[in-house]
Amino acid sequence: MFIDIHVLPAFYEPINGDERKEELRHEALDIHLNGIAKLEHIKNQMRCAGLDKMALLAIDYSSEHGEPVVSNDEIRTLVDCEPDRFIGIASVDPLMPCAADELERAFADLKLKGLHLHLGRTHIMPGDERLAPLYKICEAYNKPIIFNAGMSWEPGSLAKYGRPIEYEELAATHPSLRICLSRFGWPWAEECAMLMVKYPNVYTDTGILYFDNAREFFDRLFKHEVALTWIDRSLRHQVMFGSNNPRFEQIRMAQALDGLGLRESTLELIKGGNAIEFLGGLD
Amino acid sequence: MVKTTSLTFLTSEYNQYFIITDEVEKAVAESGVTEGIVTVITRHTTTGVTTNEALECLESDIKEFLGRLAPEDHPYAHARMLRDYGSTAGNPTGHLKSLIMGNHVHFLIHEGKIDRGGAQDVYFCEFDGPSSRTIMIQVMGE
Repeated sequence: MFIDIHVLPAFYEPINGDERKEELRHEALDIHLNGIAKLEHIKNQMRCAGLDKMALLAIDYSSEHGEPVVSNDEIRTLVDCEPDRFIGIASVDPLMPCAADELERAFADLKLKGLHLHLGRTHIMPGDERLAPLYKICEAYNKPIIFNAGMSWEPGSLAKYGRPIEYEELAATHPSLRICLSRFGWPWAEECAMLMVKYPNVYTDTGILYFDNAREFFDRLFKHEVALTWIDRSLRHQVMFGSNNPRFEQIRMAQALDGLGLRESTLELIKGGNAIEFLGGLD
Repeated sequence: MVKTTSLTFLTSEYNQYFIITDEVEKAVAESGVTEGIVTVITRHTTTGVTTNEALECLESDIKEFLGRLAPEDHPYAHARMLRDYGSTAGNPTGHLKSLIMGNHVHFLIHEGKIDRGGAQDVYFCEFDGPSSRTIMIQVMGE
C-alpha cells in the first residue's frame, strides 16, 4: 500500500469549470500553467508513481478570500468519484466564527479523515486560543491534523508560523492528538526530527523540493540536514510520503525515496504504514 | 486553402510513442486539399513529432538512444523552482529529448493523399508524461 498523504486537488476537473474560481485557485496557491486535470490523468500519474491512494487536502483561507480555495464539500465530491483511491482531509479557517461548526460537519456528515491547517497563511501560532476548539474536536473524533510547516511557497504565508519548535507545546499537551508537521518543517528539519524523536504523536511528510531535482534534494535533506540513520532507526514510524502535488511531482519523488538506501521495512512504513496509523485506519 | 485542426489526448506513461498516421491522413482527407502540404506540430516543449518506421525494435532503440543522450541522473540546470509556475522543474530530460526529436513533420499531399514512403509513419512522442497533449495539423494547398 503506497499512500501520498499530501495532495492539493485544486485543479481536478470534477470541481472546476468556473473560471473565476479557477483563477482564485491559481492566485491563492501561486500555481500556474498547470491546466485542469482529468481524473483519468490523475490515475495515470498515480500508476506511474506506484501510488494506491492519495489524501486530498481541502484548503480554507475564507477570512482572506471570502470562500474556501477548496471546500470540504468539494473534497467529498472528489472522494465519491474515486472512493478506493482518494482519502478526504478537511480544512477550516480558524479565523472564521463558524470554523468549529464546519469542522464538526466535515467529520460527522462528510466523513472526512483529518484536518488540514496552514497557520502561516492565517498568521496565528499553534497555541492561539482560537485553535483550541478545533483541537478538541479532532481529539473527540480521533482525527489527525496536517499542519503546513516550514517554508510555504504560497503568497502571504510567513514561515515563522510553521517553525516546528512552535508546535512543541501542542504536541506535549495533547499526546493523543496526532499532528503532521509537513515537509519535514524545512528549513528546520533538525528541529522537526527533535520533536519527532521526543513526541510519538508528531509526524512529518516528504513533500518538499524547493531546490535541485528530487534525488539531489532528498539526498541533501535526508543524508546531510538530518541523518538517514535517524529516519531508518528512530523516526521510521513517523515519516510519511507526501508530494505536495501539484507543487511538486509525485513520480520522481517516489523514485528518489526508493533510492535513498533505507531498509525495505522502513520504506514500507514511509510509503503507507505510517499514513494508515496517522489517519487512524483507512475505514 | 488552409485547414487547421487540433487533436488533444491524454498520455499515460513518462516516455511514450504514439503512431498518429491515421489521424493525419484523416485530417488531409477532410480538408479537401488534393495537392499541397501538411504540417503536424506539437504545442509542447517536452514532446516530439517525427517520422520513422513503426517497429517495436526501433521504438526500443530510439528510447534507449535518447535515454543515453539525456540520462535522468545528470545535474541539469533546469532542476530548480520556477516562479512562473510555482513549482519545481523536474523535466529537463523531456526538453532535451524534444530538442533532439523536433516538434513537427511536413509531408507533401498528392492526389488527396499524404505522399509518404512505405516505411514512414508519423509519431507523437511523449517525454514528460503522463499529461494532456495537443497537436496541430495544418493542411495547405488546393
